[in-house]
Amino acid sequence: MFAGLSDISISQDIPVEGEITIPMRSRIREFDSSTLNESVQNTIMRDLKAVGKKFMHVLYPRKSNTLLRDWDLWGPLILCVTLALMLQRGSVDSEKDGGPQFAEVFVIVWFGAVTITLNSKLLGGNISFFQSLCVLGYCILPLTVAMLVCRLVLLAEPGPINFMVRLFVVIVMFAWSIVASTAFLADSQPPNRKALAVYPVFLFYFVISWMILTFTPQ
Amino acid sequence: MLMRKIYQKDLKRQETDSNDDIEDVSLFDAEEETTSRPKKSKIRHPVASFFHLFFRVSAIIVYLLCELFSSSFIACMVTIILLLSCDFWAVKNVTGRLMVGLRWWNHIDEDGKSHWVFESRKASPQDSKTVSEAESRIFWLGLIACPVLWVIFAFSALFSFRVKWLAVVIMGVVLQGANLYGYIRCKVGSRKDLTSMATSYLGKQFLRQTTGDDQTS
Repeated sequence: MFAGLSDISISQDIPVEGEITIPMRSRIREFDSSTLNESVQNTIMRDLKAVGKKFMHVLYPRKSNTLLRDWDLWGPLILCVTLALMLQRGSVDSEKDGGPQFAEVFVIVWFGAVTITLNSKLLGGNISFFQSLCVLGYCILPLTVAMLVCRLVLLAEPGPINFMVRLFVVIVMFAWSIVASTAFLADSQPPNRKALAVYPVFLFYFVISWMILTFTPQ
Repeated sequence: MLMRKIYQKDLKRQETDSNDDIEDVSLFDAEEETTSRPKKSKIRHPVASFFHLFFRVSAIIVYLLCELFSSSFIACMVTIILLLSCDFWAVKNVTGRLMVGLRWWNHIDEDGKSHWVFESRKASPQDSKTVSEAESRIFWLGLIACPVLWVIFAFSALFSFRVKWLAVVIMGVVLQGANLYGYIRCKVGSRKDLTSMATSYLGKQFLRQTTGDDQTS
């Protein structure tokens, strides 16, 4: 009965070690010695510095390739949560305590960013999924600042001047977001498709700006 | 010399075919055994182990007990999101490195193509760099159990129509599932190795079953 099974050889343990061979071999060796054994504080500082650098790049947008290469989604997460928190109708009632609006903002931001990324990839763009999400998320920073300003302005008395100030601030920040994101995204598209790739970005930030402008606390 | 004689006398009682030399060697080796054994069962990074489990378990607890903690849906949601993000960062960057010597990340080269890199520490003879069994068990237990729970929560939220929690639950599934997948890829090496490992595991089970049947019959 066991005659056929005698040929089977089953290894007891599969060894885990081995070399990773990818084109940037020397860089991986560097990583192996430096990041696999670095202290926790180094890791935290490295990541925080990376996030801070990207915020600076958004505030002073210029064409730079190095920003795109080390993508991370922490900045977008922080901005999204901040924006969603500020867009709450501040009511103390627990029944309608702004629950749906929070999730709404979250869904709009992330779903919108994913849709734009898919669109740019379908148009033949040369950018990876997460890089695009990273750029779009970080470029929400001006609009978050606009939201902050609007909330402060709304503490004053309502009226047409109030509205004009808010409109002006939102328009300026909207333009800043568009300029910052196209500085990074437009390069990855073939030249005849740039407008096709950029207009969803325009729509995305327009929707967010609209939410900011039409916000009224109860 | 004295010790050897005493042991020899005692062992004569339970002597079998093995000679006294082997008994002596195995007895004296007991003190040196710990240096030759590669895996230890003490926890070398208690803080990392604690945080590995703390964020995941507290995210689940907050999700389950949110109605008791506070009446504000938003506070709960933000707390869970923060805990899930901290957990993702901690497990990916710190506890995987320290507890089991594995790491995974994404690397984009000059052409704009993205590579996913899975890295595992080579087994070195130095004591400080080996993996302890207890830590490894804690790590994998926490890594596997929590995404399974989040998937269960996702189904329960879907079928009981508590849709407002769905965003948080999906985020939990995605973040913890990503860590789980990354570390399994680190451990196993590549997709081909995964299938060969699965085949060998099934083969082992089959063999065990048939030999078990043969012994009982």
